[in-house]
Amino acid sequence: MGKLAFFEQYREPLAGRSVKSDPLDQQLIDISAVAIHRDTAAFERLFRAFVPMIRAFNLKAYPGASLMADEVAQEVMIKVWEKAHTYRPEMAALTTWLFTLSRNARVDYLRRNGKHVSLIDPEPIWDQLEDDSADQFQKARQREFEKQVAEGLAKLPNDQRQVLSQVYLEGLTHQEVSEKFNIPLGTVKSRVRLALKSLSIVAKGSSI
Amino acid sequence: MIHSHPTLEQLTEFASGTLPLSVSLGLSGHLEYCPDCTAQVHKLQSVGASIMEQVTVPQSSDDDMSRLLAGIANRIDRSDESSAGNATVEVAAVTDININSSTSGYRLPKVLRQFVETDYNELNWVRLSPAFKIATLLKDTDGTQVALSRVKAGGAMPHHKHSGDEMTLVLEGSFSDESGVFTPGDFIMRDSRHKHHPIVTMDGECICLMVLDGPVQFTGTFTRWLNPLMRWQHSGI
Repeated sequence: MGKLAFFEQYREPLAGRSVKSDPLDQQLIDISAVAIHRDTAAFERLFRAFVPMIRAFNLKAYPGASLMADEVAQEVMIKVWEKAHTYRPEMAALTTWLFTLSRNARVDYLRRNGKHVSLIDPEPIWDQLEDDSADQFQKARQREFEKQVAEGLAKLPNDQRQVLSQVYLEGLTHQEVSEKFNIPLGTVKSRVRLALKSLSIVAKGSSI
Repeated sequence: MIHSHPTLEQLTEFASGTLPLSVSLGLSGHLEYCPDCTAQVHKLQSVGASIMEQVTVPQSSDDDMSRLLAGIANRIDRSDESSAGNATVEVAAVTDININSSTSGYRLPKVLRQFVETDYNELNWVRLSPAFKIATLLKDTDGTQVALSRVKAGGAMPHHKHSGDEMTLVLEGSFSDESGVFTPGDFIMRDSRHKHHPIVTMDGECICLMVLDGPVQFTGTFTRWLNPLMRWQHSGI
């Protein structure tokens, strides 16, 4: 398959965005160049774009732990190199893929070095989510949903946005948020729930 | 039909990576049966991504980036030789195993393959009563026990309560207890306040994945003798 033909398939999900100037489009092109051509120059561009964000993600949870932040970021980028061919742009935004890789690398780092020592291999736990079993309709909705979330987050009340950040960025359980910030557990849960409700994530299987 | 799902809190902690790995293992197994919760986790992951995107990223120097990049350069080369070329083949092979499942017709969740290669029968089953067997998959560093329980059709698990949290994922067959009937894919979380007495339905044996925070305690008059045995199972000796 020629280079142009290959890139052509990425046009559809990008419809409506200005194609040439957007750095995200360049990143999609770079990801596919890494996947197909093992293009190291493209990989280096991605490295320089992603690593500062992944480091910041970890420093938010462990301020000052810059060696850990470096190592986790490097592990994530190794996965980007190894798994570029599994990334499906029609299925999830590049940042969502990057978030899942960063989360997994952090969990794995903590398992090996830190507070969650465990013999369980974390990789298969999230790997099966990458399986491409969702139908076209679901995929379209997932992409649509990602846009809504980004917009919705900005509109959340402060306390709700904060608690989401504590859970996702700082990597705290609801219980830990409650203890660290001296907020009743019920309040933590209801803030998360309200936030997820405003972001149109329908509460399921829970009666709290 | 699956009717017992993880709570929103558990799904959120799963998506953010803060749920204990042992429970995440069971939750991941549930997702293989439940497209609704899978969709939910995808959504919760995109919440994480949006939040990650909004982090203020400090300026990194070119030198720093070059140093970090150089640090993995050799691993990039090596991984390229070893895995990238075979990647597609590997993916195909894994999918194959999944479709064929195991030889005895069990549907073995992918996430359990780190413990069970092909078949539940290959495991070391310890008989605790005529109808009830248990196979320990892992005694984790934090004391958590990951095990499979196997009860014959119509059999009962002895009256018991938990000394910690207990997670159950039904894998084969079905059982009922005070709170209803549970079938493959059902994800059940119980805490130490629960005393319960599951009975397996008549149509076949029931295999469940169990994650136990603390040892199970049998409470029936005739089954108390099992307690030292379960503590031993749990102690990691």
